[in-house]
Amino acid sequence: MYSADKTKKFAMAYIVDRCVDCKACMVACKAEWQIPDNDFRTHIDTGIAPAATERLSMHFLPHQCNHCDDAPCVTVCPTKASHKRADGVVDIDNRKCVGCRYCIPSCPYNARFFNNQLGVADKCTFCLPRIYDGLMPACVTTCPGRARVFGDINDPESEISKALKDAADNRYRVWTLRKDLGTEPNIYYIQK
Amino acid sequence: MTKCRISRRRFIQGTASVGAALASMSSFRLLTGSSPASAEPQQGVTYAQNWCEMCFWKCGLTAKVVDGKVKKLEGQPDCPSNYGKLCAKGNAGVFQLYDPDRLKTPLIRDGERGSGKFRKATWEEALTYVAQKTNELKEKYGPETFSIFAHGSGEHSFVELVEIIGSPNYCIPSYAQCTGSRDIGWALSYGKAVGGKEPVDSQNSKCIMLLGRNIVEALHVGEMQDFVEGVAKGAHVIYVDPRFTKTAAKANQYMMIKPGTDSALLLGMINYIIEKEIYNKNFVDGYTHGFDLFKEHVAEYTVEWASQITEIPQTEIIKAAEKLCEAAPHCYIHPGRRLTRYGNDTQFTRIVACLNMLMGNWEVRGGIYRTVGFKYDAPHMVHFDKPYADRADGAGSEEFPLGPKNLGFANKLMEHIANQDVYPLKGMFVYGCNPLHHHGSTEMVKKALENTELLVTCEIYMTDTAWLSDVILPESTYLERYDPVISTGRRKGYIQFREPAVNPVFDTKGGWEIAAQLSAAMGHENEFLDVREYNRLAFEALGITEEYMKKHGVWVANESTPYPVEDGEEEPSFRTPSGKAEFYSNLCEHFSYPPMPSYEENPVPAEDEFRFLFGRLSFHTHARTQNNAWLLALHKSEVPLWIHTDRAKALGIKDGMQVRLVKEGFKSNPCTARVVDYIHPQAVFLPYGFGHETKGLTRITGKGARTSDFTSNLTDPISGAAGFHNGFVKLEIA
Ligand code: SF4
Ligand code: SF4
Ligand code: SF4
Repeated sequence: MYSADKTKKFAMAYIVDRCVDCKACMVACKAEWQIPDNDFRTHIDTGIAPAATERLSMHFLPHQCNHCDDAPCVTVCPTKASHKRADGVVDIDNRKCVGCRYCIPSCPYNARFFNNQLGVADKCTFCLPRIYDGLMPACVTTCPGRARVFGDINDPESEISKALKDAADNRYRVWTLRKDLGTEPNIYYIQK
Repeated sequence: MTKCRISRRRFIQGTASVGAALASMSSFRLLTGSSPASAEPQQGVTYAQNWCEMCFWKCGLTAKVVDGKVKKLEGQPDCPSNYGKLCAKGNAGVFQLYDPDRLKTPLIRDGERGSGKFRKATWEEALTYVAQKTNELKEKYGPETFSIFAHGSGEHSFVELVEIIGSPNYCIPSYAQCTGSRDIGWALSYGKAVGGKEPVDSQNSKCIMLLGRNIVEALHVGEMQDFVEGVAKGAHVIYVDPRFTKTAAKANQYMMIKPGTDSALLLGMINYIIEKEIYNKNFVDGYTHGFDLFKEHVAEYTVEWASQITEIPQTEIIKAAEKLCEAAPHCYIHPGRRLTRYGNDTQFTRIVACLNMLMGNWEVRGGIYRTVGFKYDAPHMVHFDKPYADRADGAGSEEFPLGPKNLGFANKLMEHIANQDVYPLKGMFVYGCNPLHHHGSTEMVKKALENTELLVTCEIYMTDTAWLSDVILPESTYLERYDPVISTGRRKGYIQFREPAVNPVFDTKGGWEIAAQLSAAMGHENEFLDVREYNRLAFEALGITEEYMKKHGVWVANESTPYPVEDGEEEPSFRTPSGKAEFYSNLCEHFSYPPMPSYEENPVPAEDEFRFLFGRLSFHTHARTQNNAWLLALHKSEVPLWIHTDRAKALGIKDGMQVRLVKEGFKSNPCTARVVDYIHPQAVFLPYGFGHETKGLTRITGKGARTSDFTSNLTDPISGAAGFHNGFVKLEIA
């Protein structure tokens, strides 16, 4: 239906300083995708640091599927239901998913869960139909902190390319999660 | 149970690879010509405009309707309330619409009060029943026997109904329970109340000071957006709270204050600023009244003194004072929200106002901006004669001359209903609020409800108050009804439009329709306009079309500057007796209140007690959203109770244990202990809005504590508003 545009590579960045842990993104995603019960496709972790002896600080860390370039979930999937698209999105074909759940523990980011209502593995899809309809992903659209930036990193004019360039120019901290695992994530963290 | 998705260790490992992505930056291919496919109209998809009613900030939103069902809500990009954004609550409005727990038909009590036995009724039956009972009570006790507690977009439907019946006893509880003391304190100082859309210009501010104003969690989208913008631009944020909140997480300077001593901190800062002469002389000399007297008055409040009382180091107090003065006038000290804390809050907000005066931040960028409103010839929904009787609660009386008669004192009125000590108060209407949770004492409210001979609740859910009602009139949610257009002011003045996205899911009606039909059933001849007719007349007066509003949902009507002083268009001016901002309040003197604010010591808990603090989570509003499954999932239905590590240890309480709050022998449902170092040892904190008793909220009944069981029930002597934070509790393991 939404065949992959090979010229694009979709990615997301979180400007960590702007996240306030309001969890609007979690509920917007739930609404958009009718995620059952207590599951969510995206989460915010709250870390309070450190002990009382040092200056108190708290950070908020959004996360979801990293749409890895070298995705273990794709490697282990026996039916090729989980696949990497030419536009960078790691997608799950519900018709092919047999619910074997191999992919769920294989993801080092704990990004997948089992959708009991549909009987398939589930996770963030970067809001595939939305983005081909010219909309932003639901979590990005709603984020009151404007912490989430999404787009095509092949396009230098896209908001995400600009955000990453701005971060590089200003020498902000930029990282991806668990670089050491070599999964090549496509979600970037930016912190001033 | 979902476990914490990424452990702290993983996060640290993540941060260890800082710079990795910098390297991959160079590999971005610089391709051009990839424009996004444009949205094509889909079959079976329609859109409807609305404003959100999950809280009271009124974010503009568009509902996407697919095959007759609301599928998704999204913010209106041009609405100055929220600029395209919705919070978690706003996004969860879809769940509310289709929630099987909603009230589905009118109900008439059919058993003992509180038994929960109701019989289903048709609208005609229910309306006739209410009308008959109302007329009987009116005959017996006089029209002023009725009261109404109303909150939300439809509040005026029932307020006007009660006025038509002939009673002046209507209350908008947000005055007494939230903003009353603040608005009066501000009005005494500047001649103008703050208003519900606090005009603090965070996005341009260089220094922001918040005293328990937890912007990030007691969240209003627009205010929070501005705050994040200010933080991103590098504002210095000073956050004062006995508890390290998510707003504290964004602060440069966090001060853990001894609960109840905020005024000492501010007076100490004021003293320092005046002594060092680092205040805004231009503003103080030119536009304020009574500075010399004030200077003398605060001379005793030294930083050393403030430090002793607040437990905040002197260096921190001085740093905060200096940071503000360096940034002045592009800085502000937040006027606060729900400033109903210790029962002397009007004088506290006077101190906040005086500190702001020293900054000279009036109507300048980064300070207090001017709310841009606008006037138009708004139609009347209904014409009626104002009731002649005196209000029972004393608002606007000799005792409370500053109490606004058009808002009332919800807490005082409830007390008089409980005691029946002014005149008989036997009929109560409740629209969109839940007095059993909102007042200072559940006992008192229960007594009041018992004393009523007729209790009618108009609601969308079976609240604790509805559970005790005689008649329940189910209202349509905001996604199912029209409402009269509203005008709102922030940095721009604007009009918002609400239309139903779908037909009512259950047998419900909008507030105005219900009020109109009730009025007719009671035999009143006052003609209510139909809401659509009202809107048509309003559009005519505004010079806009319904088509425009159906397309955009919002219309910006006034774009004059919110910074008239800074932009040199006007001199600062104030509607006070002196025409200046008043350090020395002439009105206070006139009414025999202390004209200058002093430090007043608040009572402290005993050794084995805690001060009971409560407040909001970012994803719940008051006591109205707790049963929403999408929002419950965010916290796995857990109700946390914050307690300091040392105090917990002494009581044998470990993190995650189930504990109960105890006050005068009364015990709460279990809450989950959250044992942390970052709350003051003298206090515990509970998120507001849990502890429901009604069996009609199937997911949340019996979970967590109800704050009104444990708060204090005080009245501020100037504003008449409540004071909640002098409640003291003990804890025990459940
Ligand atoms: S919506 Fe934005 S600010 Fe709120 S939790 Fe999600 S990422 Fe953070
Ligand atoms: S984050 Fe997990 S689910 Fe997503 S692509 Fe990588 S391995 Fe697969
Ligand atoms: S991109 Fe879409 S699917 Fe992924 S977390 Fe955001 S809203 Fe959910």
